[in-house]
Amino acid sequence: MVNMDAYQALTAVHIALIYAVLAVPLTLSYKTTKIINFVHINFITYGAYAAVLLYTFLGVDNVFVAITAAFIIGGIMGVIDNVAVFEPLSRRGANVVILMIASMGLWIFYKYLMYSVLDVLSRVAKANLVSVLLRFETLPRVVVGGMHVTSAFLTAAITAAALALMLYFILEKTAVGKAIRAIADNPTLAEISGIPRGRVVNVMWFMAGGMAAVGGVLWAIFAIATPEVGDTLILQVFAIAVIGGLTSLSRTALGAFIIAFAENLGMAFLNQVFGVPTSFKPFITFSTLLIVIIAFPPLGAGGGLPYRFLRKRR
Amino acid sequence: MTGQNLKIVVAIIITLIIGIGIGYGISLATPTGGGQASSSPTSTGGTTTVTVTKTVTPSTGSRTKVYKIGFTLPLSGELSSVGKMWERVAKMAIDDLNKKVQAYGFNVRFQAVILDDATQDEKALQNVQTFAQQGIKVVIGPAASSQVKAVKSYADSNHIVIISPSSTAPTLAIPNDYIFRTVGSDALQAKVLAALVEHEGVKKVVVFYRNDEYGNAFAEFFKKYFEESGGTAILQSYTTGLSDYSSEVNALAQKVQSSGAEAVVLISFDTDGANILSHAANNPVLSKVRWFSSEGVHGASELLQPSLAKFLISVKFMGTRPQTPHNVLYEQFAKRFKEMTGSDPPVFSENLYDAVMLAGWAILRAGTYDGAAIKDALPKVAAHYYGPSGWTYLDENGDKAFQQYAIWSIKQVNGKYEFSDIGVYQGGAVTLTSQPG
Repeated sequence: MVNMDAYQALTAVHIALIYAVLAVPLTLSYKTTKIINFVHINFITYGAYAAVLLYTFLGVDNVFVAITAAFIIGGIMGVIDNVAVFEPLSRRGANVVILMIASMGLWIFYKYLMYSVLDVLSRVAKANLVSVLLRFETLPRVVVGGMHVTSAFLTAAITAAALALMLYFILEKTAVGKAIRAIADNPTLAEISGIPRGRVVNVMWFMAGGMAAVGGVLWAIFAIATPEVGDTLILQVFAIAVIGGLTSLSRTALGAFIIAFAENLGMAFLNQVFGVPTSFKPFITFSTLLIVIIAFPPLGAGGGLPYRFLRKRR
Repeated sequence: MTGQNLKIVVAIIITLIIGIGIGYGISLATPTGGGQASSSPTSTGGTTTVTVTKTVTPSTGSRTKVYKIGFTLPLSGELSSVGKMWERVAKMAIDDLNKKVQAYGFNVRFQAVILDDATQDEKALQNVQTFAQQGIKVVIGPAASSQVKAVKSYADSNHIVIISPSSTAPTLAIPNDYIFRTVGSDALQAKVLAALVEHEGVKKVVVFYRNDEYGNAFAEFFKKYFEESGGTAILQSYTTGLSDYSSEVNALAQKVQSSGAEAVVLISFDTDGANILSHAANNPVLSKVRWFSSEGVHGASELLQPSLAKFLISVKFMGTRPQTPHNVLYEQFAKRFKEMTGSDPPVFSENLYDAVMLAGWAILRAGTYDGAAIKDALPKVAAHYYGPSGWTYLDENGDKAFQQYAIWSIKQVNGKYEFSDIGVYQGGAVTLTSQPG
């Protein structure tokens, strides 16, 4: 008998690691700019496709090369969005709602740009690029205590750890990181004290876009890459970021584990013990979200939005 | 202010360059076959509209009559990987149809109007309504049975002929409606799959199926036939439209282990099926049992990915699919498609091709572009048409009456993996001509 519970747990950890890589940059960008950014969806999809296209056209089968390329592409997208759309709009006094709608426009733009480009590339490559199963064997498959740990799992674990270290180092130890945190706390005060806000925000967007794109690669090598990959993940990613109160990076990472475990282990438990169909998975995701929000008022585990808005008004 | 204007101008120029690049890429990649093709994708809030205009030099001075045929295809969303390929099949079919009707001396031209339904029920309905407003009376698609169900009452009351190339749910076999299907209902395919599993000596299976119109009906029919012949089928459904199915696959493994089933029968579409199989390949329980499937994952290039293909061969993966054996027309069609796109025609491509042909000939036979007349003409035309999908004779429900089925699997030929038909279903029995591997 193979212990399937252990496999469920392993899958849950794998998904949690990817969710964390996807959701932490959303929290980072929200807390610095207060933009509810739908382009996050495109960061994920474009990251996944950076790996797919490198593999298809250049035969790159080293997963870490793909991850680096995805980080750069996602990062550049993040900076372009800010310089071309968010920055000019906020300079003209656009409020958060307008910025959010602008980001929705960008989301649709990027999504169908991707479809159009893939149309052409599919013809050039004479291959179907709309749904791609990408499997790298850069890292070996290991057997721990009779359990097969896949290459994709090891990649996700190492990448998540490296990104966490990088984020910690940049935000806590460097001047740019301190500036990002200062802007997140109080943008006006930060600017008055001489922080070059535009440049610092660009650095933040580069990091946020890059990280989300890396998450896209991790997802593609675990599940499957389609031009809809970001769209299908975004509800979970937002749920996780809200659990982190859209302010706390560490609690967002914790939220990733809460959601991934509820979705996978919780679902498996209900399925085995009570025979609940696995179709209930999305239900579990969002009831977990509601429970966390209600149990840790005012909103989310990070102190919450209403609290911050109230404090600002006072 | 000048800085602002400069930025706007630069942005416009960049957008133009991107647009020209895409257009040039498409024109390079599109095989030119008599006439100029222009394709312009525009998107509005999640719906991509692709209008294809085909200019054919008129042979005589007289005015050519143009008939529009609507297509609602899953160009985005869950079925987008096949939908994108179907778009090419649709264009190929319209080209062929135009050449053919001109060869017969008709001074008419068919024009495809292709809309994206994002594999969603309500978008499919919206598209059919859009076609109705444009005066289009014949619509090819939608793909999924649940979508066909969604457009049915509108089509019936507005006299729009719907020809779905891929809806197979037995629940939609209804006489005297405006819904036609150029593929057989799954009631028979379920029987073939049950016969295949039985032929392989498997007595107990878990059926892992999509929780939708297609999966539910297929699973129930499979269970009925499989248990009639003395087997045991345990049903386990999964939610559709997820980004990943790993936890569903783990639950499946648990079910297989606790029930002692010898095989899994997978009833899926392509992207979800490929994802499920890729997780099963890494699962110690699921890589030890046999796997069978319906037509859903046939032709999905993901299955040819080496690590997945190796798994499929090791579990002697076999599936059923609607196909007419020894059909030279299909072989020619598949060869042409592969030359054009580099990949095998995805599932139901031939049924789509024939749907377009039937639509064209039915419009000509009706003599007038009127829904009711075309509806009456369609079965008459179909009774005398033989194409890549075989004989298209329609039964009283407007579904393909004589559907034959092939057994398919993955084979390794000269170091490359490919889809291969390894047997047929004839006279109530499965005959295998070769083994997977």
